[in-house]
Amino acid sequence: MRIGWFYPIALLLVLGGAFATKHVDSNFVFYAGYVVLQFIVLATAWNILGGFTGYVNFGTAAFFAVGAYTTIALNKALGLPLLAIMPIAGIIAGLIGLAAGYFTLRLKGVFFSIATLALAVVLETAVANWGYVGGASGSYVIPPAEVPFFDNYIEGLFSLMLLLAVVAVGIARYIALSKIGRGFAAIRDDEVAAECMGVPTLRLKLIATTLSGALMGIAGAPYPFYVTYVEPTSAFSLTYAVNSIAMPLIGGTTTWFGPVIGAVLLGSLQQWATVTISSELNLLIVGVTLVAFVVLAPQGLVGLARKLFGRGGRTP
Amino acid sequence: MQCFSGTRRWALKLAAAAFAGTLAFAAPAQAEKPIKIGFSMALTGGLAAAGKAALIAMEIWKDDVNAAGGLLGRQVEFVYYDDQTNPSTVPGIYTKLLTLDNVDLVVSGYATNMIAPAMPIVMSRKMVFMSLFGLAVNEKFNYPNYFQIMPAGPNPLTDWSKGFFDIAAAQNPKPTTVALVGADAEFARNALIGARENAAKAGFKIVYDKTYPPPTADFSPIVRAIQAENPDVVFVASYPPDSAGMVRAINEVGLKTKLLGGGMVGLQFAALMGKLGPSLNGIVNYDFWVPEPTLKFDGVEAFLKKYQEKAPAAGVDPLGYYLPPYAYAYLQVLGDAVKAVGSTDQQKLADYIRSHTHKTVVGDVSFAPNGEWATPRALMVQFQGINDSGLEQFTKAGARVVLWPEQWKSGTLKYPYAQ
Repeated sequence: MRIGWFYPIALLLVLGGAFATKHVDSNFVFYAGYVVLQFIVLATAWNILGGFTGYVNFGTAAFFAVGAYTTIALNKALGLPLLAIMPIAGIIAGLIGLAAGYFTLRLKGVFFSIATLALAVVLETAVANWGYVGGASGSYVIPPAEVPFFDNYIEGLFSLMLLLAVVAVGIARYIALSKIGRGFAAIRDDEVAAECMGVPTLRLKLIATTLSGALMGIAGAPYPFYVTYVEPTSAFSLTYAVNSIAMPLIGGTTTWFGPVIGAVLLGSLQQWATVTISSELNLLIVGVTLVAFVVLAPQGLVGLARKLFGRGGRTP
Repeated sequence: MQCFSGTRRWALKLAAAAFAGTLAFAAPAQAEKPIKIGFSMALTGGLAAAGKAALIAMEIWKDDVNAAGGLLGRQVEFVYYDDQTNPSTVPGIYTKLLTLDNVDLVVSGYATNMIAPAMPIVMSRKMVFMSLFGLAVNEKFNYPNYFQIMPAGPNPLTDWSKGFFDIAAAQNPKPTTVALVGADAEFARNALIGARENAAKAGFKIVYDKTYPPPTADFSPIVRAIQAENPDVVFVASYPPDSAGMVRAINEVGLKTKLLGGGMVGLQFAALMGKLGPSLNGIVNYDFWVPEPTLKFDGVEAFLKKYQEKAPAAGVDPLGYYLPPYAYAYLQVLGDAVKAVGSTDQQKLADYIRSHTHKTVVGDVSFAPNGEWATPRALMVQFQGINDSGLEQFTKAGARVVLWPEQWKSGTLKYPYAQ
């Protein structure tokens, strides 16, 4: 019953997006919107592990690129359409998340983060030497000329990413409100204490790494169709890791909607800055925003709002 | 009465004159609407140094054209955005340029990664697409209105190193063994594919064929491993930081081979040439333009003079021989086509560019059906007589003599490399 309002709004958002593709003339909205939505998925996925359990993952790009390269490999080998590839990309990235989690979760704090960063480097080197997907010289994916239901492929990609963002946020919300979420929070607060109280910490952490990895992989799957040319340096770009950490930090890491707020704000700001300021200054803006949040609102916007209104409301 | 009507006539005349005047002023105002050229350029991120240099060259072209009255009597204006050397910004930028900024013409940003993402968008609008240093981008798209200004030739992957192996094969006694080494990265891998093919065609035996990961810092183990095979010819495909590391390691180890170089990116840049100085002597490497007497095309020196005045303030390559003349030339081709066709009709422009030879600051350019140069002109030059780290010597003829193609040859090969 408490969940009541979420699903109608989610459905309305997806339908609204699909409606927009028919009535908005400039495709720029969809290209820019796609990137923002992609970051909503990545930030939400990152937050399931990083925000809920407190394990900071620097390897977002690795899972994202696994999704992208699954598309390249399957598209080349079997000519599968994107819709069929996305679940497979999710499964592969999820399995890698599970394996990486199993091997690295004994590490804590900064050591876990370094291990995830290493995962990205190892995978990048492997892909750079895998000739079938283009290796270091990269690979082209030509977007289809016609897409069913839509006027062009970008409207299709945009709607797909919108649906994915809603599903990802729905999963994060479900976790946050469920028993699993309380387990995650217990791990974040004090893992040893949680373990003593009978919280199955390893199993929960493996659920988090698998889910988080799978969502990042699915988010990466449409990427080759978006850029048409993929090579390891750009697919494994540190930008994905940095953004997917920065966005939840700005929004607030302890709730399911914090990353959404952060991704919408920072993602739109970046898109806006790219086509307006368009110089070194736009890097500065993003940097200053981050520093300002770390200094002024370490709990993110959600934390700031609670501090200003929540507690303020209760105290006389 | 008469007086009154006279006044009225006056008033009518005045009104008529004013109306005519408005028309007369309105017409040129309409014609003066600027021609907008849109593009993305790497102004931050990994390719920023090259991107900024290209932008300076493009602005020199714009100023030259506007000073001469513009295109079709209209001034030229740029609308450009920083792609941050991030391919995922490119589709959005080109959509904005075409749908919201309503630019009349588009050209590409710098390098393969940033050109490919723009292709589907440009293609869907059937625009002419002048491209700046994309390596074999059109192989998969087969877009007829794509024209690429880097003189790699119609088969960029193999034409790139053809000169190097032609020079090797022409020596007497003919060398027999080849070592191929390169970085695990986009350009280097592609160059090695071509080199392998050319080496096989010329009948060389490949005794070493390995790549190294891009962050490699110490190249002496690689050079020693190559030396162990004792190859007559060593082909290197490397990026700027590793080109420097490789040259240093080769000098340290004292690599003994007869011909060395080929596809080393970075040895064309003033910063690296200055740093490496005399250790460059004898290396035979690709280049696109050097100040040799055979390559003094119309306008190139005037262009470089303007560029070199602006370069220090922008902190970009002070000599600007490698990319900037081509960034000027790709706009020159487009601008001349607009003048010749008399409109910005994309199909007419594409037909004109495809069917004509264009006079540019980098020489006469004509395009093959796939949009690459019809005849390759990736030069093979040899560093000769470099004494110190001064930049002045590289501005004079004789420091980098052209050995290949025959048409542009300006000196003779000093052979073998290690004497």
